[in-house]
Amino acid sequence: MTEENAWVLQAQQGNDDAFTQLVETYQKPVYNLCYRMLGEPETAEDAAQETFLRAYQNLHRYDSSRSFGTWILSIAAHYCIDRLRKKKFSVFSMDVEDEDGTPFEVADPASPDPEVESVKKEDRARLHLMLKDLDATDRAAVVMRYWYDYSEVEIANSLKLTVSAVKSRLHRSRRALAGMWQEEKSRAHPERRSRESLAF
Amino acid sequence: MNHLPFEEWLLNNSPVTPEQQRDLDLHLRTCAYCSALVETGKVLNTAKMATPAPGFTMRFQARLAERKVAERRRKLWGMILFILGGMVLLSWAVGPYLASFFASPATWISVIVGWLVYIGTTLFALLDAGVVILSVIPNFLPPFAWLVLLSTFAGMGLLWSVSIWRFVRVPQGV
Repeated sequence: MTEENAWVLQAQQGNDDAFTQLVETYQKPVYNLCYRMLGEPETAEDAAQETFLRAYQNLHRYDSSRSFGTWILSIAAHYCIDRLRKKKFSVFSMDVEDEDGTPFEVADPASPDPEVESVKKEDRARLHLMLKDLDATDRAAVVMRYWYDYSEVEIANSLKLTVSAVKSRLHRSRRALAGMWQEEKSRAHPERRSRESLAF
Repeated sequence: MNHLPFEEWLLNNSPVTPEQQRDLDLHLRTCAYCSALVETGKVLNTAKMATPAPGFTMRFQARLAERKVAERRRKLWGMILFILGGMVLLSWAVGPYLASFFASPATWISVIVGWLVYIGTTLFALLDAGVVILSVIPNFLPPFAWLVLLSTFAGMGLLWSVSIWRFVRVPQGV
């Protein structure tokens, strides 16, 4: 039995300290999923806390043959999807926060190539903003695929979808993101776009 | 512009031959959409985990404690309302009897005795009727009909058990 399974078992028997260990272990993945889904650090914190509370209340339902990580991320994803559907419009605040949930800063001059690092950071922030235009379930699938390296089967199990539906959602999301990216670039560099169009 | 098969390769991360790679590179030079697909793919593949503010676990513990207190308070209020409601209903139901009790003990004693006699006679009558039915029915039903009847009951019992099991079975990812 792994240490994690032991914590789950103890938590199921009412040991709150064991559950705290699980919170400690999974706070980052759960928070990250909520943040990618909801966009705002405060909302993500609230959703992550609520996810752990739901897991705590439904711990007796957890099937130990399944990974605890997958189970809790599945709870988080469903919670965020429900929240987005209720809210309809999600508001992002990327102008004041960067993707780590910390105040936005310019690239660290001590890093090997601050300019490249800065561009990468900007690209990640831009993509994070674009996520909000995806459908809630598509967004969950993208986050699970690219932030957690989940296979299509794992995503299907977590989101209660078929594998082919997951595949189609991932492709649709990638196409949508590429479209938005292209549009954003052409807005940022219109002169380059006119030159490119001549080349066609 | 025709993006096939390049779009499929990029979306599926398919392994490509050197020749296909050359074709893809040529296509990427002229296709802004496929270039965007490559760029977004790179950004997604180097995505970083967001971290919660320090003290997340402590905040969770505080929230859990708050939730537990709220839950206890909710249960307590529920119980108080249940008891109060029950008392109101009970006093409504037994009010007339209590009134007659206070008016004249002889009336309520006769009412209770009347009820007891009624319940007793009804039970005896049902028992007698049951005995008569049980002694008469076997003569009317052939053994085959009994077999069908018992099988039907067994089937319904099984269906009931399976329904209960399916209802009680817990789904994952609540």
